[in-house]
Amino acid sequence: MLNDDELLRYSRHLLLEDVGETGQQALKNAKVLIIGMGGLGSPASLYLAAAGVGHIVLNDFDHIEVSNLQRQISYQSDDIGEAKVEVAKRKLQQINPEIKVRSINKAMPEIQLTMELTMADLVLDCTDNMASRQLINKSCVDAKVPLIVGAAIRFEGQLMFFDHSETDSPCYHCLFPGSEEQTLNCSNSGIIGPVVGTIGTLQALEAIKYFVGLPSGIKNKLKLFDGKSLDWQTFTINKDPKCTVCGQH
Amino acid sequence: MKIHVNEQVLELAENINIEQLLVHLDKPLIGSAVAVNQDIISRSHWADTILNEGDNISLFQAIAGG
Repeated sequence: MLNDDELLRYSRHLLLEDVGETGQQALKNAKVLIIGMGGLGSPASLYLAAAGVGHIVLNDFDHIEVSNLQRQISYQSDDIGEAKVEVAKRKLQQINPEIKVRSINKAMPEIQLTMELTMADLVLDCTDNMASRQLINKSCVDAKVPLIVGAAIRFEGQLMFFDHSETDSPCYHCLFPGSEEQTLNCSNSGIIGPVVGTIGTLQALEAIKYFVGLPSGIKNKLKLFDGKSLDWQTFTINKDPKCTVCGQH
Repeated sequence: MKIHVNEQVLELAENINIEQLLVHLDKPLIGSAVAVNQDIISRSHWADTILNEGDNISLFQAIAGG
């Protein structure tokens, strides 16, 4: 049941036929794990906290640096040197005291990630490196937990959603099989804030839709965003029967 | 035959597969994703996917930033 404060706080959700009180209650019960609290995790977590996602776990091991502030909108100049997850947790609780936020201020080894996944309904991959992305994918496939992947560099963004509760779902590894691949990241290629912000915001939108029971328009799809033309391209991701991560499942 | 690669027209010999196309274009095999007519082809199928006249090929890189 929603209390009076919640009825008022979420009144604009309650007006929506697709959310309503049932959807808001589903958001309140939802447990999301956000891995990476940079340019993607900042807007994603702010929107999910504001929307009333009841249990949010934030994971990052970084401290805030001045070069983060150009795009990581959860943080301000006073926060430099502090742990990202602690500052972000404080911010989310200020936005919405009705929700529970927990922080994990370390790089999680596989065993801890697996344990966290037993408590998560959904994972947002907001990380900045290929090794973490491969580990998160594998762990979500094994635990059958749905995964929303965002990535961005320069003026480009990528967005995908894999529902690993379905056994025939493809996975991130079907698309990008190499974990040691030299990939482009924000520190070697640069990034425009609103581009990474757009992708993080859409990760939050897809998460909200998932929790209230709306179908995703991007399941098993890769969306490519071009921040210069504002064009989107959509590709279908097919399961690779030979995939070493999801192929035997 | 003519195909489109990232919206550029390319004239190619018949019976070329995706792996040969990447080599022809001097693109890295590692870290690349390839879609034929909006369908992403898994890397394990690059060698046995033959391109056809008029195919729309999209090549892009894995990005990890966030």
